[in-house]
Amino acid sequence: MRTISVDDLPAIIAGSALLCSAAGDTSLDGLHNVTAELLRRGGPVSLVELSSLEPRALCAAVGVIGGFAPMIELPPSGHEPELAIRALEARLGRRLDALVSLNAAGPNALFAIAAAAALRLPLVDCDGMGRVLPLISQTTYAMAGLSIGPLSAVSLAGDVLVLDSDQHRSDSLLRAAMQAAGGWMLCAMYPSTARQLTTAAILGSTSRLLDVGRLLTTATDRGSLLNGLASTVKARLIGSGRVVELGHATRTTGARHYPAVPTSVVVDEYSGTRRMIRLEGQSELLLAIIDGVVAGAVPDVLCLIDRHELRVLGMESVAVGDHVDVLILPAAPTWHTPEGLALAGPRAFGFPVRHPGEGARR
Amino acid sequence: MSRNRTPEQLSVAELVHFGPLSRAHAFAAENLDRQVSQVNLVSELDQIRQCEPHAAVVLHGSAAMGVWAVESALRLAWERNASCVIAPSEIAVTSSTAQLAERLRVPLFVVDDPPNHALELSATVADTEAARARLTARCAVLFGDRSSVRDIVGVINTEVPGVTAALVTKDGNVIAGRSAVGRKGGGRRVQVSVAGPDGQQWAELVAELASSSPSWVETVETILRLARAPLTASIGRSRLAVARRTARERLLLEILLNGGDATEEAEEAGWQLTGRHVAVVLRAAGRTVGADDVDTPAIVFTWRDSFAHLPIVPVDGAWVSWWTARSIEPGHVAERLRQYLAEARLPIALTAGVGVPGEDLVGLRRSITEARLAAAVASRLGGGSVELFGELGPRALLACLPIGEIAAAARVALNDLIAAPDAEVLITALAALLDCAGSTGQAAARLGVHRNTVLSRIERIRARGVDLDSPDQRLALHLACYSLLSTRQWQG
Repeated sequence: MRTISVDDLPAIIAGSALLCSAAGDTSLDGLHNVTAELLRRGGPVSLVELSSLEPRALCAAVGVIGGFAPMIELPPSGHEPELAIRALEARLGRRLDALVSLNAAGPNALFAIAAAAALRLPLVDCDGMGRVLPLISQTTYAMAGLSIGPLSAVSLAGDVLVLDSDQHRSDSLLRAAMQAAGGWMLCAMYPSTARQLTTAAILGSTSRLLDVGRLLTTATDRGSLLNGLASTVKARLIGSGRVVELGHATRTTGARHYPAVPTSVVVDEYSGTRRMIRLEGQSELLLAIIDGVVAGAVPDVLCLIDRHELRVLGMESVAVGDHVDVLILPAAPTWHTPEGLALAGPRAFGFPVRHPGEGARR
Repeated sequence: MSRNRTPEQLSVAELVHFGPLSRAHAFAAENLDRQVSQVNLVSELDQIRQCEPHAAVVLHGSAAMGVWAVESALRLAWERNASCVIAPSEIAVTSSTAQLAERLRVPLFVVDDPPNHALELSATVADTEAARARLTARCAVLFGDRSSVRDIVGVINTEVPGVTAALVTKDGNVIAGRSAVGRKGGGRRVQVSVAGPDGQQWAELVAELASSSPSWVETVETILRLARAPLTASIGRSRLAVARRTARERLLLEILLNGGDATEEAEEAGWQLTGRHVAVVLRAAGRTVGADDVDTPAIVFTWRDSFAHLPIVPVDGAWVSWWTARSIEPGHVAERLRQYLAEARLPIALTAGVGVPGEDLVGLRRSITEARLAAAVASRLGGGSVELFGELGPRALLACLPIGEIAAAARVALNDLIAAPDAEVLITALAALLDCAGSTGQAAARLGVHRNTVLSRIERIRARGVDLDSPDQRLALHLACYSLLSTRQWQG
C-alpha cells in the first residue's frame, strides 16, 4: 500500500499541472499550503487499490467546482472537506469508508488528498476523468450510470448545500450557487459502493499522477523527459515549434454551456515542412489541428511543454515566442468508446469534427 | 459533367476580376489560374469530401465556425483539388491561416454573406459568356457617359478589376490613366491604337492584366476597342475647344497690339495687362509656319502643362506669351524657357525670343515686338535656342533681313569673286576686314593668320574687281558678305 505524505506534494503538484492545460504551472500556493498542513496534521494518506476495499464499502468523489482565479484570491481554509463529507454522510445516514477523486488532475488532485488527510480516510487510487473536464457530469462515473447525487457542496464561508438532482441540473444549480458563494465550492458527490466503482472508475489515476510528477520534478534534459512521459503515460510528441499567435476568435457550434471562453494557440513548426499546429480550447486545450487536419482531440490530453525550461505551459502563461513541444496523452480507453466520445469528445465541445481515433472510415 | 461544358470555364482570376469575388478580401491570391467548374455551398466540413475537383467551396454554418474550421476546410479543399475556398467575414483570418492557404496554394476569400455569394457565383460560373457580356456592356455604357479622355480611361481602371490601363502617345508620353502601365513589364499586355480626329494614329490604349487566360485577354481587348471611338471623339472635342479658344485669343491679341481697346475682353480671358511684363515669342526652328498650324494644339497643351497660369496665343507663325511680375527678369524667363524647350514633349523643334521688361500695355507691345525679333535670331540657330533682345541690341535687326534674296543678288554682283577657286577664303577675309573697320592687324588676329597674309588676300580681292575704298560700296559689300556666309550660297 502506498501512502502520500507532505514530501510527495511537489510531485503531485507537477503531475497535476501536466494533465491540466488550463492552469499549467499557475501557482495555487494557498491550496498547496492547506494541503500540506492537513497532511502534517492527519499524517500520510493511504492510497488504496479499489480491489482491496469491501464490495459494499461506501465511497464518495471529492472535487471542486469553480475557477482558478477565485481559488487564488480566496484559498481554502481547510475546514471545507470535513463540512462537505459530514453533510453528505448525514444525508446518506451512513459513514463513508473511503474517498475517491473526482479527477486526479489539476487542483482537484490536491483537494482529494486534502480531504482524505482531514478526515483520515483512505484515498482510492482512481478517478472519474483522468484529466480535467469542465463539467462535473463529464465523468466515467456518470457514464457508468452512477448518480451524481445526493451531493454536498461547501463554500469558503462555510455555507453547506445538499443537493438531490440529476446530473445536468446538478451542474447548473451548483454553478449558480458557486457564483454566489465566491467562485468555487468543494463538493462530495457520486456516493457509491466499491463494487459500483469497479466498472465506473479509471484505475491508477493518482499513482500515475505521482509518477508523472516525479519525472517532471527530476528531469534534467528534454530527451529523458519526453522518453519518460512516453513510457509512463504513452505521451506522443506531435510537433515542436514557436508560438506565433494567440487568439480568442474561435467559435463553436451549439449552445454555450461551458464556463470558459474559447481560445487558440498557433505553433509554427521549426523544421521540415514547417507545419502549422493550431490548438483550440476553452480553458483546456481541446483540439490540435495540423495544417487543417485534426491530429488530436479531447478527451485525450493536449499539453504544451516549454522546451527550454522543461515545465508545463498553461493557457494562462503561454506567450507568443515561447518554444514548445506539443504532446498528446491518450485518455483512458473508456473515453474512446462511442459513449465516452459523445460525453467528452470534440463534438461535446461544439467542434463538429471526428476524434482522430473515431471510425477511420476515410 | 465538366466534360460536357465548353472549354470556356471561368478561372478564379476572372471571378475576381469581374465576378462576385471582386468585392471579397483575398488570401493566397497568387494562385488564381485554376478554372471553376461548379460552386459548392458547404455547411459541414465533411461535405467537402464529396466536392468535385475544381469546385469553389463556400463555407457557412458549422463549416465556418472558427479559424480552425476554415483551416480544416482549406486542407479538405486541397485534398479534393478545389479551386478556392470562400469563408464568412466574421471569421478573423490571421496570418497563420493565410500562410496555410499559401502553402496549400488554395486561394481563400472572405465575404460578408457566403450563401448569397454562392448564388451569385453559381450564376456567373454557369454562364461565362453572359458574365463577360455584362462586363463589356457596362463598360460600353460608361464610355458613352464620360466625355474626357481621362474619365474614359478611368472607366477601364475602375470597372475592369485586375487591369490597369493608360493612353500612351507614340513616344511613350502617358496622356491619361496609370503611368505605371508597362513600366514593370510583368503582366500580359493588350493594346489597341487610337486614331486622332484626322484619322491618323494618335496614341495607343494599353492595358496590363494582372493575370490572364486567352478568353480574358479577348474580353479586355474588346473593351479597349469599345473605348477607341469615344476617345477619338473626346480628343476631337477638346482640340476643337482649343482651336476656338486660340482663335479668339489671337484676335484679341491682334486688337491689343494694334492699339485697339479690348481691356475688358482681355480680363475675361484672364490676361494681365498692367504691371511689369517680359514677353516671350516661340518660333519653329529654321522655318516659318502658319498660325493655323496643325501643331498648335500640342504646343498649347505642353505650354499649359508647364506654365498653367500664362497665356499662349498663336500670332503670325509664332506663339506669344508673357510673364507679369514686379521682380521678373529676362534672364530668369530665359532659364525657364530653356528648361521647357528641353523637357516638354513638343511636336516640332522650337526656339524662343525674350523681350526687355516693359510696363503696362504699352510696354507689353514693345516687349512682344522685341521678343519676336529675338526669336527670329534664335530660329536661325536651331531648336532649343533662346535669345534675349536685351543682349542682342541692334544685331536683332539682322534677323529681319531677307538673307536669301540678298545672297542671290550678291552672287550676281560679286560674280568674279565667287568664281575664284578660294572664294570662301577671300569672302571670309573680306568680311573680317569690314567687321574690323578696315584694320588689317585686327582682321589678321580675328582670322588667326599673319598680317601679310591678310594683305595678300586683299590684293587678290582687288584683282577680282572689288573696290574696297569706295564708301558708297561698303555697306552693300558688308551685307553681301554677311548673306553669303549665312547661306553658304557661293558654293552654288
